[in-house]
Amino acid sequence: MIRILAVAMGTWFLIAPATSFGDESEEARLRARLGPELATQVIEVVQSAAAQGLPTSPLVARALEGASRQASGAAILQAVRRHAAGLVAARRALGPNARPAELDAGAGALLAGVPEDSLVSLKRARPSGSLVIPLIVLSDFVARGIPVVSASSTVLAATRAGAADPALLRMRERINERILRGEAPMGASREGLRELLTKTDPGTAKGNPGREPRERRRP
Amino acid sequence: MDHDDRWDDQVRDAYRRPIAGEERAREQVIARLREEPAPRRSRWSGWWMDPDAIRMRPLLAVASLIMVLGIGAGAGAWWAASRGASIGSPRSTTVVARQTARGIGAFTGATAVTFVFRAPGASRVSLVGDFNGWNPEATPLRRATLGDTWIAEVPLERGLHAYAFVIDGSDWAPDPSAPLAAEASFGRRNSLVVVGEGGPL
Repeated sequence: MIRILAVAMGTWFLIAPATSFGDESEEARLRARLGPELATQVIEVVQSAAAQGLPTSPLVARALEGASRQASGAAILQAVRRHAAGLVAARRALGPNARPAELDAGAGALLAGVPEDSLVSLKRARPSGSLVIPLIVLSDFVARGIPVVSASSTVLAATRAGAADPALLRMRERINERILRGEAPMGASREGLRELLTKTDPGTAKGNPGREPRERRRP
Repeated sequence: MDHDDRWDDQVRDAYRRPIAGEERAREQVIARLREEPAPRRSRWSGWWMDPDAIRMRPLLAVASLIMVLGIGAGAGAWWAASRGASIGSPRSTTVVARQTARGIGAFTGATAVTFVFRAPGASRVSLVGDFNGWNPEATPLRRATLGDTWIAEVPLERGLHAYAFVIDGSDWAPDPSAPLAAEASFGRRNSLVVVGEGGPL
């Protein structure tokens, strides 16, 4: 009997942290910051997301952000529900093994109008590396007025070319500088991508989690 | 019938012929095997690996199960609480390793992120984000020697974080040099910083 109990306790200690209700502190924070009725509604959405294996901290963060921005209860609930739907769609596009940060970034991109197909293509372009930076760059482009189609194709082309995360971030900075100088966002993105593909060797930058460095082609 | 066929028949007959004393030989082999000592395991491996029959009163079994589940749930709750408590409660003051080209924005060190923001004329600037529950009182920035530059160092967990600056307690502003979130949930876009995902933003 002692042996059985020892095995059972050991097993439970291993699996309990993963299966227990890990949102107790989040629930307490929501109840402290939101009204009781709104908190209950938000917690329902959060618990539903948790039951689906989705990350819950982005949903809690949206609710707390809305409370700090003094948004109405309806706006807060709508934002949380929209983000939960975005997480579901992001996982559908990025696959069941996508990390929480990828799902969060993917949800943001999808909610801004980026089609799921673009996320699927990004995943194919970088099947094993993190997609957080490409998705953030994509979101930033959309936020700065680059049409969704152009933003998606720019990031996808750079990723397919083996661009490392630092190279993607440099491209983002250059394109933003062009936009700030008054260039049309679409033209700026086209030029930024051209610079990345012609003047740099995207694969040799440090920290490339997606691909091995490519050999530079000689003319 | 040639020579080979005869040879085959002789071999077949030899195999079919009963061996004298076969039954006795079998008994001897079995007896010798019983005399052989069983392979010994160490005390601990035997304790874990040897089969054992367990008899338990059903009431005691239920009580044991409840006890195990209770201890496991308590451990899980403690773990979850400790995880939640880490948010906004710095545990490290690692010095920031590098800075962005402009010196404005967010840059990451080993575990800390330094936020720098220029706000000419501001009397108070604070940082709000996923990491502090979007609480404007939680993370005030300190004024740098440059006067209109404000700075705060915040240890962040690995992952993606949205944030913004709050100027004089009311004006919310994104970080001008950081990537923007595509969606504006509440009318204004947030900035994004990634920790531990292939480089600082």
